[in-house]
Amino acid sequence: MTPIIAYQFNRILRGSIPFAVTFLLALISVVPTGIGVFAVVTPSFLGISVFYWSIHRPYLMSAPLVFILGVLFDFLSGGPLGLSSLLLLLIHGIAMSQRRVFVGKAFLLTWFGYIVVAFSIAVLSWIIACLYFLSFVPLMPVIAQFLISLLIFPLFAWAFSLLQNNVLRHT
Amino acid sequence: MAPRQATVFKMAWPLKTILQRSAFLALIALSIALLFLGKANVGVIETLRTRTTDILTPVLVTISEPVDAFHKAVSRVQRLTSLIEENERLREENARLLRWQAVGRTLEQENENYRQLLNALSDPLVLPITARVVGDSGGPFVRTLLVNAGRRDGVHVGQAVVAPLGLVGRIAEVGDRSARVLLLTDLNSRIPVVLEQSRHKGILVGDNSAFPRLEFLPATAAVAPGDRVVTSGDGGMLPAGRPIGIISSVTDQRVRVQTFTDWSRLEYVSVLRYDLPGMSNPQDNPGDLGESRLGGR
Repeated sequence: MTPIIAYQFNRILRGSIPFAVTFLLALISVVPTGIGVFAVVTPSFLGISVFYWSIHRPYLMSAPLVFILGVLFDFLSGGPLGLSSLLLLLIHGIAMSQRRVFVGKAFLLTWFGYIVVAFSIAVLSWIIACLYFLSFVPLMPVIAQFLISLLIFPLFAWAFSLLQNNVLRHT
Repeated sequence: MAPRQATVFKMAWPLKTILQRSAFLALIALSIALLFLGKANVGVIETLRTRTTDILTPVLVTISEPVDAFHKAVSRVQRLTSLIEENERLREENARLLRWQAVGRTLEQENENYRQLLNALSDPLVLPITARVVGDSGGPFVRTLLVNAGRRDGVHVGQAVVAPLGLVGRIAEVGDRSARVLLLTDLNSRIPVVLEQSRHKGILVGDNSAFPRLEFLPATAAVAPGDRVVTSGDGGMLPAGRPIGIISSVTDQRVRVQTFTDWSRLEYVSVLRYDLPGMSNPQDNPGDLGESRLGGR
């Protein structure tokens, strides 16, 4: 392999890390964990990942990739097809448009941003689900998922920032 | 290389932004269109869904194996600490169960005699297909499981799915090597049930909570917390008499059922092949050993 091709290959491989990590998280979120709380709702790993990468590496987490991840998750979870892709695209859109607010600022601000976004998305998803099933869907699981997600957000943001600073520094 | 590319990017910037914006909006529109298509139950969507799960099921099996191994290790250590008490308890339980077994044998024989006297049709042999749970629904809106058995193992839509302690749900979608189980706690689940003691019939209605509701009971039915609820077999889709749970609470409008199944610890489930006697072709009777893998070996 010539150095140029090797370099390009390396770059593509590194560049696909955000997508690959999010894909893996999509799989993990449907694997039965046996953890009591997670049996009712799994935290929205996908939402966290899409939010983080849309802020910090928007060109590696583009809208088509977000859409594919959403559709894939809908297929896996058996939920209404198109719901996750719609919600993830909205998270992506909000994060992209507001990324100037978050990049280079304190982590607490990002966390707060995530809380605001995740809460509005949770409420929106509940409204869509009610319309989709044409009945009153219990609100509790939605709120529970939102709360668990916001609690584990710092952990994931920390892991992603490690990835970002070590593997994706120059991409 | 960044400075050299910067000028190119600067010129292409507006075009790129417009493209990105329109792609974003198009994808949002596509998602909404998918929601409508999915709601309309278009066949293509279901095929796509089962294909995807078929492809990803082996991956999920691989991921879930270390998770299971970890849980087994933890529970082993936990059990080590209470070996003696456990042993004592099991010895007592064994003695009790042996007495029950004697009673059961007598009753079975008695039943058989009455059946022969009446020339009654007996329920067909129900053969279980045991499959691993490789996925549950991560989202808050549906209660489903993904199992690693499908059409080639003899799984069909509508078959009952049971865990060791009781009914879990029914098969909703089947792929070649994977199937989706609609849990009886799901919003869309309706299971015909009967109260074991009083024989009053009702419908078990899921609402995504862990405690499904019991509805359409006769107005005169006497229900009390602790009554056992079993499948009634009405409609011929599920075998009769399978345990589901006990009545957990009775209020003015709502009767709720506590299921025997622990939803957080489902590792293996059995899909029951069942058809009413005389209503199916004997050649593909689900109880027929010839069709199953058990008979093949």
